[in-house]
Amino acid sequence: MKKLHLIIGKLYKIKYLTKFKPIFNVVDSIFVGVKDTTDSAPHVVDNLDTKRYMTAVIVALMPATLASIYFFGWKALAIIFVSYAAGGLAEVTFAIIRKKEIHEGFLVTGLIFALVLPPTTPLWVVAVGVIFGTVFGKEMFGGTGRNIFNPALVGRLFITLAFPSIMTTSWLKPFTDAVTSATPLTTFKSMQVVTPFSNLLLGDCTGSMGEIFRLGIIVGGLFLILTKVSNWRIPVSYLGSVFILSWLGNTFLGVKVAPPLFQLFAGGLLFGAMYMATDPVSSPFTKSGKWIFGIGCGIFTFLIRNFSGYVEGVMFSILLMNAFSPLIDHLVIELKYKPVKK
Amino acid sequence: MIKKTLNSPKNYKEMRSIVMIKKRTFSGGYFFKNFTGHPQEKIDNCNIPSKVIIPLKQNFGNEVPSLVKSGDKVKAGQIIGRNDNSFSSPIHSSVSGIVEEVKKINYFKEVISSVFINSEGSQDWQPLKGHNSDWEKLSSEKIEELIYLSGVSKLDNQGIPTRFKSSLISPEEVENLIIHGVGSEIYNLSLPIFLERRRMLNFVEGVKILKKILPKAKLHLAFNKHQQNIIEEISKLLSGLKDIEIYSLEPKYPQGYDEILIPTILNEKFPYGYSAANIGVIILNIQVVLQVYEAVAEGKPLIERTVTLCGSGFKEPVHMKVRIGTPLEFIIQDRTVDNIDLRFIQNSLLTGVVLSDLKLPVNSNFSQIICLPEEKRSQSFAFINPGFKKDSYSNTFLSKFIKVKKILDTNVHGELRPCIFCNYCQEVCPVNLIPHLLFRYVEKEIINQSLMNLKIFNCIGCNLCSYVCPSKIPVAKYIKEGQGKLIDIGYDQTLCILPYFDLKGIEDYRGIKHL
Repeated sequence: MKKLHLIIGKLYKIKYLTKFKPIFNVVDSIFVGVKDTTDSAPHVVDNLDTKRYMTAVIVALMPATLASIYFFGWKALAIIFVSYAAGGLAEVTFAIIRKKEIHEGFLVTGLIFALVLPPTTPLWVVAVGVIFGTVFGKEMFGGTGRNIFNPALVGRLFITLAFPSIMTTSWLKPFTDAVTSATPLTTFKSMQVVTPFSNLLLGDCTGSMGEIFRLGIIVGGLFLILTKVSNWRIPVSYLGSVFILSWLGNTFLGVKVAPPLFQLFAGGLLFGAMYMATDPVSSPFTKSGKWIFGIGCGIFTFLIRNFSGYVEGVMFSILLMNAFSPLIDHLVIELKYKPVKK
Repeated sequence: MIKKTLNSPKNYKEMRSIVMIKKRTFSGGYFFKNFTGHPQEKIDNCNIPSKVIIPLKQNFGNEVPSLVKSGDKVKAGQIIGRNDNSFSSPIHSSVSGIVEEVKKINYFKEVISSVFINSEGSQDWQPLKGHNSDWEKLSSEKIEELIYLSGVSKLDNQGIPTRFKSSLISPEEVENLIIHGVGSEIYNLSLPIFLERRRMLNFVEGVKILKKILPKAKLHLAFNKHQQNIIEEISKLLSGLKDIEIYSLEPKYPQGYDEILIPTILNEKFPYGYSAANIGVIILNIQVVLQVYEAVAEGKPLIERTVTLCGSGFKEPVHMKVRIGTPLEFIIQDRTVDNIDLRFIQNSLLTGVVLSDLKLPVNSNFSQIICLPEEKRSQSFAFINPGFKKDSYSNTFLSKFIKVKKILDTNVHGELRPCIFCNYCQEVCPVNLIPHLLFRYVEKEIINQSLMNLKIFNCIGCNLCSYVCPSKIPVAKYIKEGQGKLIDIGYDQTLCILPYFDLKGIEDYRGIKHL
């Protein structure tokens, strides 16, 4: 590895290659590692870095990813590959233009974006979506750590609005090539039929690639919470508020509102609550802010799902609440810290 | 902020005979557990060096003028620096020998005149006049004089109040006395070693002595909750004393800080940026109490200090009894691991200063000398290795689930990245700040009232935020920078403290901390 480090060191000093320094740095930091030592107190620091932080998210996404490959075969693989390649290109281009480091956050965005797509999505649409998400969802705001919205969701929203027929009507049942327009949620809306829970949990139903193997999502989500990579407050408040609202709605409004447990396990709610709402950058950072954020997501999801033309409210509600998170944080801090008089 | 539970005694009789033990903790903080390099359970005696350097300002107090000049013969225990008119305590020669010179040296960022003494090499020392092993016969004036003349009154952050100017406040003004042995740092003094059989009795006597000279003070003894034997023994030995409470605290960093001990134990707010003495609290650690006993009952002046040599850079980490003024290199000698770069750190891995010049002496402020290997080697694919021996605040390393000794080194373990709002710093902050927000303000040069409102001056500098940051941002350093810039434009901590606290001894103290 020492040799590699030396070779890389020589390579980016070559005139034409200097521009590509971010790429060399990424290779160097992955294969060689960090040589720097702390310069003052604290003399020791935590072993966790953003690489491992993001790796933990990837690990948590593995059950859902492997299930999607198992269900949809090469289609899923191709979508994931295109999503990484096109999005990676956008990320690297920006890093080179801005002369900044390539940040690890993209590893997660690329995978999450692929997993929220229907398995029938044409590959060029995947590429358009992920590039839009990376550029307009993240880089426009100044890159990692500054984005207001979850970049994967921005991409997904863009292609949903731009290509509605592809994104909302052509779903694939696992192991078959039969394209239908029915998902568990639309089936309920039109016919009040509740899909069996075993089907929902194990993935034998229609839906986006990564969202249908819900058992794996629950396992992955718990893994993230246990490793402290995602904060438990958001999933708990999000899922809890959807559950309570739909229980109330189901009790008082009858079949117009789907039963609470079905609502929890249908659509992209679990995936959204575990992996997307918990995105630390675009959600509030204060503890009470996280509760407000989760409950807000829950209310919007409930309203959109049950009382609007759309059946899938998770994406919209998370994006909407993303827009509110700076405001939520601001208010929480105003309340918490009393001004000091001069 | 404070969780409080009471250990209910089994029956009424027990309640009367044993002091109640209260369990307390605080929110935030971090447990540093299971690291390699802990000192062994024994105390070695360091030899008498051939030359000692004694700085004339140690611990609490101002610099004192030297009473000796070059060529003078001094005895171990003889006072060589004293000034009864300023806040200070006498300083003693720690060896017998001849004064070589008195000159200014650069000592921990201060220029302090120091006495260089060539030693004869004898172990003897000259006891204080008037000490009495049956100390209860002594008047409290005499005890105070003994404590002052022994130099013990300068120890710890506030010193011990006597009728001489050894602390900011007078003995009558002390409302609470906290004696603690929590051990929340990565490396700590070993309590069982300090409080083994005979020393335990000395400790209890020391507590009683302090009780006698601080008549109005309530006593609070706080210990590590994992040392139940010691807590129980002490509570038995101290039963019958009035106004005394014993606490068992979780060894969570930074519990041992004055700023955290006071809210956890006394339920009071701390005047951040000021001294605990300003609100009538004196905080001492175990070693000081033992030294108080030795001074009063045995007449031993402050010439020795027990220091722990810890960290994986030492072949054999131990506790060492050293004479004050002994040069570091004499203590360390060949105890370190060979053939690697080492870093020596004073007292704490999280906040300590690098000891770059090993010719400098040990003063009474030392409690630890930590030695870590400089880890310049990089590790390939560090982000996907299982991490059996790596410490982390998150649970992403397997070391969280198995009991292994974890390795500490000085590597930064990652590249500098933008803040991702992971919130770890906010969760560990012991004083409920939002470190990453302060960092953002300072980084963007937004230095104004809003930083004050976010309580930037409440930062106690424990450096935990920098420790846990996965983006490797030196958060604590930015906070310090922000404080400095705020002071430059006319804001300072007095604005948050003075209107809300009735501070004692303040006129004399103001400004000292920032000099």
